[in-house]
Amino acid sequence: MSDATTGEADPSTDTQRDWQGWSCSAAAAAGFLVCLVGWLRGGGTLSLPWAPKLGVRLEFAFDGLAALYALLATGVGAVVFGYGARYLSQHLADHRRPRSERRRFWPWMALFAVAMVGLATATDLVLVFVFFDLTAVCSYFLIGFDRERREARTAALTALLVTIVPAVALLAGAVLLYATYGTFSVPELVERVEPGTTTTVAGLLIAVAALAKSAQVPLHFWLPRAMEAPTPVSAYLHSAAMVAAGVLVLGRVHPLLARSEVVLTVLLIVGLASIAVGGVLALGRDELKQVLAYSTISQYGYVVTLYGMVGASASGAAAFYVVVHAVAKSALFLSAGAVTTATGEDRLSHLGGLGRRLPLLAGATGVAAATLAALPLTGGFFSDELFFGAAKEQGPVLVVAAVLAAALTFAYIGRYWMRLFLGPITTAPAALSRALVVPVVLLALVALAVGVLPAPITQLAEDAGAVSHAAPVAMSPAYHLDLRATNVMALAAWILGALLLAATGLRDRVSRALAAAGDRVGPRRAYTASLLGLRRWSGRVHDWETRDLRSSIAAVLVPAGGLAAAAFAATPIAQAYSVGPISGTDWLVLPLLALTGVATVVAARTRERLSIVLALSAVGFALAAVYALRAAPDVALVAVLVETMLTLVFLAALARLPGTEPRRETGPRPGRRWRDPVIGAIAGLGAFAVIWGYLSEPREAPSVSADQIRLTPAAHGQDVVTVIVADFRGLDTLGEITVLLIAAVGVATLLRRGRLW
Amino acid sequence: MTLAIAAVAAVLFGTGSYLLLQRSLVRVVAGIALISQCAIVTIIGSSLSEGRAAIDPEQGGPLSDPLPQALALTALVIGMGTLALLLALVHRVVVAHGTAERDELRDVDRPAVSEPEGAGRRAGDETE
Repeated sequence: MSDATTGEADPSTDTQRDWQGWSCSAAAAAGFLVCLVGWLRGGGTLSLPWAPKLGVRLEFAFDGLAALYALLATGVGAVVFGYGARYLSQHLADHRRPRSERRRFWPWMALFAVAMVGLATATDLVLVFVFFDLTAVCSYFLIGFDRERREARTAALTALLVTIVPAVALLAGAVLLYATYGTFSVPELVERVEPGTTTTVAGLLIAVAALAKSAQVPLHFWLPRAMEAPTPVSAYLHSAAMVAAGVLVLGRVHPLLARSEVVLTVLLIVGLASIAVGGVLALGRDELKQVLAYSTISQYGYVVTLYGMVGASASGAAAFYVVVHAVAKSALFLSAGAVTTATGEDRLSHLGGLGRRLPLLAGATGVAAATLAALPLTGGFFSDELFFGAAKEQGPVLVVAAVLAAALTFAYIGRYWMRLFLGPITTAPAALSRALVVPVVLLALVALAVGVLPAPITQLAEDAGAVSHAAPVAMSPAYHLDLRATNVMALAAWILGALLLAATGLRDRVSRALAAAGDRVGPRRAYTASLLGLRRWSGRVHDWETRDLRSSIAAVLVPAGGLAAAAFAATPIAQAYSVGPISGTDWLVLPLLALTGVATVVAARTRERLSIVLALSAVGFALAAVYALRAAPDVALVAVLVETMLTLVFLAALARLPGTEPRRETGPRPGRRWRDPVIGAIAGLGAFAVIWGYLSEPREAPSVSADQIRLTPAAHGQDVVTVIVADFRGLDTLGEITVLLIAAVGVATLLRRGRLW
Repeated sequence: MTLAIAAVAAVLFGTGSYLLLQRSLVRVVAGIALISQCAIVTIIGSSLSEGRAAIDPEQGGPLSDPLPQALALTALVIGMGTLALLLALVHRVVVAHGTAERDELRDVDRPAVSEPEGAGRRAGDETE
């Protein structure tokens, strides 16, 4: 608590304002206005070529869905950034970190918002993937902002891995669709895609990426861990960015997903499971931000469930739900941050009775909580009304599920608010800066305004739903004082929720049991185990690879050989080999080749260093003679020259070395005596198969050589090879000379003990 | 002829691989030399046409394919540069550490391991 007060005193006297935070906030507000004007004027599209041969375009559309998420990202962004401008200074002061650390925060926040707007407007699947990953990268740096704490770093890594690895599935799904339908553009795909296995598989792949991003069961565990982030990050992450990115992608590609019953069923199941798991776990959590994190999992479960239902009302309700939830949830997060700042406590069990000291905060938080609990006069009432309405169309099972879900939400958010603001005071709060309360109040006012006047948000949600449903959507949320089905469902949910709220013992026991089960067999454990296993495996491979030169070589050659073998397995080899005719000078070439072979074997067998050199030069000169006989005089001449020089260089080098190779070639273990010859034999046989097959290719193919022969007189040359080297491929030769020069410098340096001169 | 060239190339490659795995750095260098010979033989063997040397094309008649020859020239010269550099490295290793055996060199990096020999030979020649 003393921390909080001293921290409070310091930034308030500080004249240096966080201009980065405020300018981010102002930019977001300006972006909000631009988006608003854009939406009111009916949007528009922009399409530029990016990689035309691959069919990838920079394709943006500012339609209803884009408007909704862009308005959220900028609107909530403006409020959260304003809060953060104040919060961050205090956070840094509390942790005794220099103010310059702001530079590690605001650029990522701003990029986060930009990526979110980009993702909202992108309609090319590859572009969607790029922005999708960009949000994950931003979240990595923001969640790990307190990088001196180990928990923050592992939480950041978890968030990155759990959202980025499934994101590859999004790309795979996009490529699958491209392979079948020839476009990455979502609107074009919507026109072309037919129901079938491809569509189902691609839809499932895209859904996996989106569900992981939206922290849905069983990939939900990254989100509660990500609460290590500073509060503004959590607030933004949970409401308008990152988690929202998942359902945004679902909304964008929903017309494709709706072509497959399997995908819809999966969405329905995952959504309901997330509502249940998130809600029950939220009931028993003690840390403020943990409660809210599990609540987010549960709330996005609602949206995923809605996307799992087909129908105009479901698509519209999903869009409406996202807006209302984002406003309420960011308000709740900001209020949690404010409470922690004021009291220095972040656990419900250490807090209570704050309502009397912080009435404004209590009221605003109450409105946000009431919005989640779907009480009348808040936007939440309408989002639940629409949710119930959509569920009603799907049959009795979903009606019951919807009521239970709403009851669960009512119970956990009621518990949260009551524990925080009612009862006896356990920790007295310090005075709170207005900058930390005003944003909460602002967001609560928005939630109230939607509850009184839902028309603008309804219009926005209808536009967004029309994109997800690929057909116009009409919704009419309103208060009705009668016993229609949605009203009865809402009443039932409140009563059940109140009962659950009252049954403290049962509630806590169930929640704790689920949490314990999750810890024992949950996906987080599987994630940790697989990460540790990967690391162990990587360590083992690395140890083996760096053990000695031999394993380093093997690490390169064995995969290369494997690839060659795979190429053989995929290529037909019937009639691929020909012995080739022998005529004229070839009879002279054959003994020379035999000599080469013998000299090669001698080079391998001899122990004398001098013999190695002589055998090598025998190989070189025999091959030079072969080149001469094969009508390649230039090569033969150069080969003779090179071999002469090499022999001399070798001899000069050997003059400095002892004369005989050591006998002990087999290494310590006699059982390995045959290992090297066998490896050599396998390599030789593999090379034989490859080279013979390659040389047996038919020779009639049109060749670039014909042009070069024809053009040689025009290049004022007689020798075609010389002209090629010096003229047609002159630039290559220049590069070659450069390589030789570098090698010469290297040799000179090495010989002169590290000094060139 | 195709078969013969392929066979010689294979012998060169196999022997080169065998030498590459040896303990002595000199033999490793010899192995690399053999593998680059294998590459050149293969390039020359892959010419698409056969005939007289590709000189003075206006005389007419079939010419041997000049392009592989140009490539082989490049390979030869670069191969020489590489080998010279490798030999200089081996030479440097021998001067600095008194041995060209991989097994013995492996312990050079580890200062904690006792160094029974070589200390005297290295005197005055350490640049690191």
